Amino acid sequence: MRLDPIQFEVIRNALLEITEEMSATVRRSAYSTNIKTRADFSCALYDGHLRVVAQSFAQATHLGSAVEVVPNAIREYGADNIGPGDGIVLNHPYIGGGHLNDVTLISPVWYKNRRLGYLATIAHHVDVGGGAPSSIGAFTELFQEGVIIPPLKLVRNGEVVDEIFQLILAQIRSKREVAGDFRAQIASNQAGIHRLTALLDRFGAEVVETGIEQLLSYTAQRIRVEVGALPRGVFTAEGYVDTDGYTADPVRLAVKVVVDDDGVLFDFDGSDRQRKAPVNATFAMTFATCAYVLKALTDPDVPVNAGFYGAVRINAPAGSVVNCVYPAPVVGGWETQMRLTDIIFKALSPALPEMIPAGTEGMICHAGFGGEDPRTGEYYCFLETLAGGYGGRAKSDGPDAVQCHGKNTENAPIEETESSYPVRIVRYELVENSEGAGRHRGGLGLRRDYLFPDHEASFTVLADRDRWGPHGLFGGLPGAKAEYVLVSKGETSTVGAKSTLQLQPGDLVSYRTCGGGGYGPPSERDPVSVLADVRDGKVSAERAREVYRVAIDPKELVIDEEQTRVLRGSNGVD
Amino acid sequence: MTSRIGIDIGGTFTDATVINEATGEIFIDKVTSTPRDPSIGFLQATNRILERNELDPSSMAYLVHGTTVATNAIIENSLARSAFITTDGFRDMLEIGRQNRPVLYDLGFEKLRPLVPRYLCFEIRERLDASGNVVVPIHVEDVKSVARKIREEEVESIAVCLLHAHINPVHEITVGEILRSMLPETSVSLSSEVAPEFREYFRASTTTINAGIRPVVSRYLESIESRLRAEGMTGELLVMQSNGGLQTFEVAAEKPVFMVESGPAAGVMAATYLGESLGFSNMISLDMGGTTAKVGLILDGVPNVTKDYEVGATARPGMGSGRGSGYPIRTPVIDLVEIGAGGGSIAWVDSGGALRVGPRSAGADPGPACYGWGGLEPTVTDANLVLGRLNPGYFLGGEIELDGEKATEAIEGLASRLGMDLIDAAYGILEIANAAMVNALRLISIQRGYDPREFALVAFGGAGPLHSGRIAIELGFSHTIVPLSPGIFSALGLLVTDLRHDFSRTVLQNVERLDLTIIEGLFQELEEEGRDLLGREGVKEEDVQIRRYAEMRYVGQSYELSLDLPDGVLSHSDLDQILDQFAMEHDRVYGFSVPGEPVEIVNIRLSALGDIRKPRLREIGNSGTGSESAHKGARSVYFAESGGYIDCPIFDRYKLAQGISMIGPAIIEEPDSTTVVHPGYSVNIDQYGNLLLTSDDG
Repeated sequence: MRLDPIQFEVIRNALLEITEEMSATVRRSAYSTNIKTRADFSCALYDGHLRVVAQSFAQATHLGSAVEVVPNAIREYGADNIGPGDGIVLNHPYIGGGHLNDVTLISPVWYKNRRLGYLATIAHHVDVGGGAPSSIGAFTELFQEGVIIPPLKLVRNGEVVDEIFQLILAQIRSKREVAGDFRAQIASNQAGIHRLTALLDRFGAEVVETGIEQLLSYTAQRIRVEVGALPRGVFTAEGYVDTDGYTADPVRLAVKVVVDDDGVLFDFDGSDRQRKAPVNATFAMTFATCAYVLKALTDPDVPVNAGFYGAVRINAPAGSVVNCVYPAPVVGGWETQMRLTDIIFKALSPALPEMIPAGTEGMICHAGFGGEDPRTGEYYCFLETLAGGYGGRAKSDGPDAVQCHGKNTENAPIEETESSYPVRIVRYELVENSEGAGRHRGGLGLRRDYLFPDHEASFTVLADRDRWGPHGLFGGLPGAKAEYVLVSKGETSTVGAKSTLQLQPGDLVSYRTCGGGGYGPPSERDPVSVLADVRDGKVSAERAREVYRVAIDPKELVIDEEQTRVLRGSNGVD
Repeated sequence: MTSRIGIDIGGTFTDATVINEATGEIFIDKVTSTPRDPSIGFLQATNRILERNELDPSSMAYLVHGTTVATNAIIENSLARSAFITTDGFRDMLEIGRQNRPVLYDLGFEKLRPLVPRYLCFEIRERLDASGNVVVPIHVEDVKSVARKIREEEVESIAVCLLHAHINPVHEITVGEILRSMLPETSVSLSSEVAPEFREYFRASTTTINAGIRPVVSRYLESIESRLRAEGMTGELLVMQSNGGLQTFEVAAEKPVFMVESGPAAGVMAATYLGESLGFSNMISLDMGGTTAKVGLILDGVPNVTKDYEVGATARPGMGSGRGSGYPIRTPVIDLVEIGAGGGSIAWVDSGGALRVGPRSAGADPGPACYGWGGLEPTVTDANLVLGRLNPGYFLGGEIELDGEKATEAIEGLASRLGMDLIDAAYGILEIANAAMVNALRLISIQRGYDPREFALVAFGGAGPLHSGRIAIELGFSHTIVPLSPGIFSALGLLVTDLRHDFSRTVLQNVERLDLTIIEGLFQELEEEGRDLLGREGVKEEDVQIRRYAEMRYVGQSYELSLDLPDGVLSHSDLDQILDQFAMEHDRVYGFSVPGEPVEIVNIRLSALGDIRKPRLREIGNSGTGSESAHKGARSVYFAESGGYIDCPIFDRYKLAQGISMIGPAIIEEPDSTTVVHPGYSVNIDQYGNLLLTSDDG
């Protein structure tokens, strides 16, 4: 049986639509800011062979997350032990997951007494217990990071298994919120089952299953064409995660990208061994990063499913920071992955100079805190990730203060944050002069200051980039490095990029994230663009003169053409 | 003998409609739009329809305008030069925005351009906490110094958004007073007046858009008004707002952000009115034109309204909703799902060999291949022609002669690449376009928790009735209504709509601990404001209707559900019922509710409606004739359900009298549209000339 192009197109859109509807359900009914506002979750549909058929998500970090965890969980639990109306929950990083906060709920889809596939939602829960609020911190082993859930039946025959639910909730600080998010995931899977059943009623199982088969081979065909168009060669680069949270040794990441007739191979041989520190990434995380890179290099119209994922080939040595083994802690693994993304792109930059940006923020940059809310006496947890500068590009500047590559979460509105949590945000602005200078400059980093007026909060910085700023390309300069600052009783001190602080009432924590790297020599930047940055206060007149070699009268806001010529001439340009 | 006149300015045409209030007689006319100065087309259309029909401007009771002038100003970046003032520490609120990228995988992406450049964003020292208490008193000298800087920058308009001003506007009021006294020529928009709801970026964005379009819109409306008055138009001048209600030019000029989606709202209002006349209260509207299809949902006779809206947002592959790609506004907008599927949508084969339709459109230039204007790519219109659904000699009443050979050539090219025959490819184009519309209908119904089978489908726009048949089959609609003159049906919406003002306040109160005196006090304030405005607009006290709503959620959730509140003063005995109602609504939308979980009221909302008497639709009369007199012949039309081409009778819609009923298959033609009646469906003509299509299966 083969579907005609029309039936095929109708079914493929309907499959994607199912996951979109699941997403809408999660988003609207979830409780935590991280899920509802920041959209840190994804929904996926699998066929009976456990292949991803369709997936909806707003974060590229979730690209690969669906590939490993669901098949592994089903195999571990045993497909035959799962009946209609059941729901399997897990967050175990070493069964194909990311960090413990990413909790997966899987529901089988039964149709006419036959199991046709599975639906899953993967959501980043704000707290899963462990050593610090929001379950982030500089931990040395997995057990400190929170409750570890192997595949368990959380829903049996449509009913939540209360004993298991209570055992999980007992480990968690912000119980009401997390319970609400679990309910949102359950509702989402139900919505998905409902829609998929309607599709099966409409077309019959044979047509839908044929459509799935055709969709996967169609996708594989399209990605093959796309990969074939990439420049051939072996491209290498290396770089470092600045700190691991315990030692002064930066974490080395070695990248070799091989593009040949067989496709693209991402080889990370030579990267550092895993550490007793929160910088280790599971294979699933590395997979997500490589999938993102491949997606960014190819036509975005190619669907995301097993047909696409099949084109992602990886060599990540077991026991290394890009494929850690049990029981290494993994909570900061995404920090490593964000850096890995930048290094892969750096390797490819000579081959694709028109496409690849200079170094970006290159970190997730978590801010997590919690404690007892003095207004209610309830334990609260808060988590967000902060944007930074994007790298300059061949044709344009890097945008200011924006989420880069794998992450694309929205910020938490200040008014919503302050009404829900006992914190005051006293500053949220661009960091002036933080851009990596270049013909096309990098974006500015941003500053966000958290004040805790009336209680003792526990605050965790889980970030990076406080030693080196993002790299420039082709003569562009690196962006400014990040800074994490504590103001306590009038004393200001710098704190490490991976540290947990016990705050006193009145303490303030300030993030200043890094700027993006510049592209091309700064002395080639159009003076009119430099003037615009000076007028906007993004770049100072002094910096314009010293770095860009453009003379600007800061009062009149005009370019002194003659002085500029002298300045630029002396640099050998002109 | 008074009439009403509606002027709807679209991208291509400016439509004029006049309805006689007593007889329901309708006149229509259209002129080419004049985008450079839309007021020219406006006046041309007005004068033409009045002159041609020998109507006196002074006999117009009122004029209603639907316009995209506000939206265009935003999209084309022709906003007034504006400044933005906010709390110390938050100057970059507009520029940082939501900190996300509009697309996931484009390494060359650009962030949304801030509507106010950084050097025109200013801070003043002041701060409230989340309960509205003053933490840092306002530094009046900061406001004065900012005002002096703004004076030097020759700014036309100012937006003010201070943190937590929706809870306590005291500091914004001070800022407003100082600015208005120091800069009397500059218009000032305060966030606490424009959109007093929490989440600062969204409120700031709404306020900034209001500030940026205010000088543009008020100049535009003033120039129209003075010229209309000079021509002897004495009636009230009104504008359609995005919420589907009217307001006077004067009020619209103050809060123009309420009219950004003025145009599309009219179609849904027309459908609402039609439903009222026919006794349908739950309907889904399908408005399909040349480039897009828009669907809306009407529940209990009221169009669904959303506040989650972005101007200029585009959904793109791989990003899902397109959220984050436009400028958010938090004023009520009629909830529409718009997709790139219209008569001009182009069919193509992608690199994996799949057949795709749209979102690219052949537009009016070069147009579909069958126009013969140079278009070579196959479109939805070409497919309709090949399948016999369109009459080549009667497109737009014969204005454009369609070339069947060119349509066939274009589709054959596509078919050979797909390895299909011509007919299958043509039918495939329609099926894919229909499937896209079915998805849009699902989005607005099922995804919002409504079962489309409980709704009637209203199909209009030039292409709507060509496609509504298949969509009705697919989604199981039991009734489809095709109004007379579907192509200009939207414009009727302008003339059958009430005056309406929406107000809201954020209250953030737990229902269990609700202070009813505060809530009631706020409602009274909003009601007074509404009655005042309507009074200024000339609405009599007895014609005012007040509706109250509460936007509620479980404590901790982020999206609110809107519930109707009982009329009159709220009492404690109402609360249990409101909680029950909330639980039911939550269950309906999300499939679960949580008994015992605390519930909070986030915003209260009030609509003040000024009832205008609706004209009666004109009855077409019962000539006693059968369908034979309307029978204009037969042609070969393709129906998949009949296994191919069949000899299908063709009818002239204008000759179909009341009471006639026929069974499908049939094609019903009128100058601006064609209705396809599928086999298995019957059609009845009602007293107003509407086609009512019903499935023979019931």
